[in-house]
Amino acid sequence: MIERRSIPDHTVITGGAGWLGRALVSRLGSPGSEGLRRGLRVLVRDEADRRGIMALAPEANVVVGDVTRPRDLTTLFQGTHDGVVDVVHTAGVIHPERWSDFDAVNAGGTRNVLAAAALAGVRRLVHISSNSPFGTNPDIGDTFRNDEPYDPYYGYGLSKMHAEVHVREAVERGLDAVMVRPPWFYGPFQPERQTTFFTMIRKGRFPIIGSGAQRRSMVYIDNLVDGVLLAELVVTPPGRGWWIADECPYPLAEIVATVGRALHDEGYDVTENRIRVPALFGMLAEAADRGLQRVGRYHQAIHVLGEMDKTIAVDISAARAELGYEPRVSLYDGMRESIRWCRAQGISL
Amino acid sequence: MSGSGRSSGDIDAEVLVIGSGAGGAPTAALLAEAGFDVLVVEEGPWIPQGALRPFSLQQMERQYRSGGVTVALGRPSIAYTEGRCAGGGSEINSGLYWRPPGTLLERWRDQYGLASLDPDGIDKVLDEVERDLSVQLLPGAASGPSEMLRRGAAALGWRHDEVPRWMTYSDQEPAGRRQSMTETYLPRARQAGARIVPECRAERIEIRNGRARYVAVVGADGTRRRIGFRHLIVCAGAIQTPALLLRSGLRHNIGRTLAIHPTVKLAARFDSPLNVPDDVPVHQVKEFAPQLSFGGSASHPGLVALSLADSWDTFGDRIVDWQRMSVYYAAITSEGHGRVLAIPGFTDPLVTYRLTRRDEAMLGRGLARLSLLMLEAGADEVYPSFRSAPVVRTRADVAEQQRRFSTTRATVMTVHLCSTVPLGGARDQRRGADEWGAIPGVSNVAVNDASLLPDAPGVNPQATVMALAIRNVRHFIESDRFLDGSS
Repeated sequence: MIERRSIPDHTVITGGAGWLGRALVSRLGSPGSEGLRRGLRVLVRDEADRRGIMALAPEANVVVGDVTRPRDLTTLFQGTHDGVVDVVHTAGVIHPERWSDFDAVNAGGTRNVLAAAALAGVRRLVHISSNSPFGTNPDIGDTFRNDEPYDPYYGYGLSKMHAEVHVREAVERGLDAVMVRPPWFYGPFQPERQTTFFTMIRKGRFPIIGSGAQRRSMVYIDNLVDGVLLAELVVTPPGRGWWIADECPYPLAEIVATVGRALHDEGYDVTENRIRVPALFGMLAEAADRGLQRVGRYHQAIHVLGEMDKTIAVDISAARAELGYEPRVSLYDGMRESIRWCRAQGISL
Repeated sequence: MSGSGRSSGDIDAEVLVIGSGAGGAPTAALLAEAGFDVLVVEEGPWIPQGALRPFSLQQMERQYRSGGVTVALGRPSIAYTEGRCAGGGSEINSGLYWRPPGTLLERWRDQYGLASLDPDGIDKVLDEVERDLSVQLLPGAASGPSEMLRRGAAALGWRHDEVPRWMTYSDQEPAGRRQSMTETYLPRARQAGARIVPECRAERIEIRNGRARYVAVVGADGTRRRIGFRHLIVCAGAIQTPALLLRSGLRHNIGRTLAIHPTVKLAARFDSPLNVPDDVPVHQVKEFAPQLSFGGSASHPGLVALSLADSWDTFGDRIVDWQRMSVYYAAITSEGHGRVLAIPGFTDPLVTYRLTRRDEAMLGRGLARLSLLMLEAGADEVYPSFRSAPVVRTRADVAEQQRRFSTTRATVMTVHLCSTVPLGGARDQRRGADEWGAIPGVSNVAVNDASLLPDAPGVNPQATVMALAIRNVRHFIESDRFLDGSS
């Protein structure tokens, strides 16, 4: 029996200018959106982000600040004492400028947000985690169950694991917090790196490492927003976490082929992808990534390449059973939607 | 059945069966009941069920090969155990009964060209095996260590089962009496006239002109004899069967495809006493099967100490709490390969096994999942069995366990060995035996034990071994050619 709570008086979103942050702000703040709410409070890091948020959600209250500064979080929660408050904590850094940002932002920032939320007496906090604290599947046919042992994938994974540990500790102290774990996402509001992914596929230059049979779970951004809002509103024990992803994992070769088909059907010239890279290359990239991260450096391309030969496959049945989550958008439809969004933004692929 | 055409030797038999375990015992019983003159030679001693304490060091000394210390060389080397007694592994194993999954039999049939392998037919044989061995669930509650597996799996939402066993339970023996081969098929074989000779080791098969003539054997007192026969069925287990064939010059695809279930372990400590020194848990966790399974291991204090020994500096002082501890394992189906090699001049074969990177990743993740399960079951501390392992108290500690794990630091072991003389259809390039276990190239020799399994089944294999053995021996009996064309 799935029991939902009421829409809160205040919804606080951290990381509002990020990929998921903007998708959430758009769902909850856009005039005409099915999910329109009053009382949105959105934390962004740069003053320059304010305009983008206001364009999506004219009524939103935008606070410029940083999760690494507790004082900024006090400001964020100001004026929420008069009602029910929920928090969606999306702020995080995935491809950092400095390696030390992983820990400062993802772990330290989360601890600060948890503390501020507890102080503000929030009803529920949804922490956005990742697949990264859990590493990669040991076998191409293995699928992560909802509850898995931590095995963090390098710096990002470690920092996101520490964030989860902070969430669990806060729950022990009485906060109602839950965790949403999305794998690789796609869809509108995508950042530059995802544009590169499309362009490489369009030009037939996306390197498939190994057989291409390695499986990856992905999540369309709107499916993810559905899942986040269910995690917020459905009554569950505190401390739970769920994979929120598309219906099933896809073999990497199928992802590349589907994106190619979506690009073609959106009118782009697509060159067939023929680049196959021996599995050894992926191992070398992973070794390079590990070496760099050990000395506190981070290189996005090497990191992504090192991860590309891995299977990261998750099982969403717990989210289905406990939250009533159903992914509404398929890979092909979601990819077409992402391509249209890029075009509408004037991004050339 | 006439004796004509029999080779003469110091002892004669119409059918000589080498080995008396889960393959040899039903083979001997069914042949004897069909009127064949059967002689069984068994290297180990005949020790009745109940004479030794189950899972004890004394039992290892008497009923295991080399006292339980046998090793497949590799990086890491993998310790394995073999029964060496009348009844073989059935006398000493966990007694946990798993039907081979239907999908497994179908895969074997399709992958190895085994057109005659009929999953429904095997199912009927298994019905019979279950009756013969009194396979049943526990009459009462499971032990504490078993309950912990169930509890942890339930908390995680992972599939778990109580596994039935070949045990009978009575007021006299509430803990159960194991329906091993010395309790079931071997007495049946004897009843039907089979002769069973323990402490008699087969050294070599003498083959001339494509026909096996004698088997040279040596008794406990060192007496050497030759046994003549019309038909020879080798059931000495997945290591000794290929070793004997190799020593005898039968080499084609023999001993080249050893398959095992590599296993890693941990000990878990709970808040109150639960240790059961002389039995193993009946629950298994099959959420990730067949690639990965969890279960409970024998846990008398000596074995608890052994599981702590890899990191004794850190874990050693916990041994005083052994009554609050039990040992558990994570077993995988492996993509690696092993070999059995006969080395001239040595009694024992050389066994090698090589894990793949995927196997290593699977063992590491498997042990981590098992640690998580133990924490969810309420363990206050978990001690993974590998060098430099941390004491695991929290989920973050499990991450540290994963970070430090490597198979070269771990005590990797196995109790399930198979596939060294794999069954295969005529076109199967890797087959060591034909679809019914007969050895190509020699007219009157068959294999009928765990060696025949085409690959590792992912479950405790005894039921599969028995079902295939019964199927094959029935085929021999019903076939008017039996093993050689001269019936």
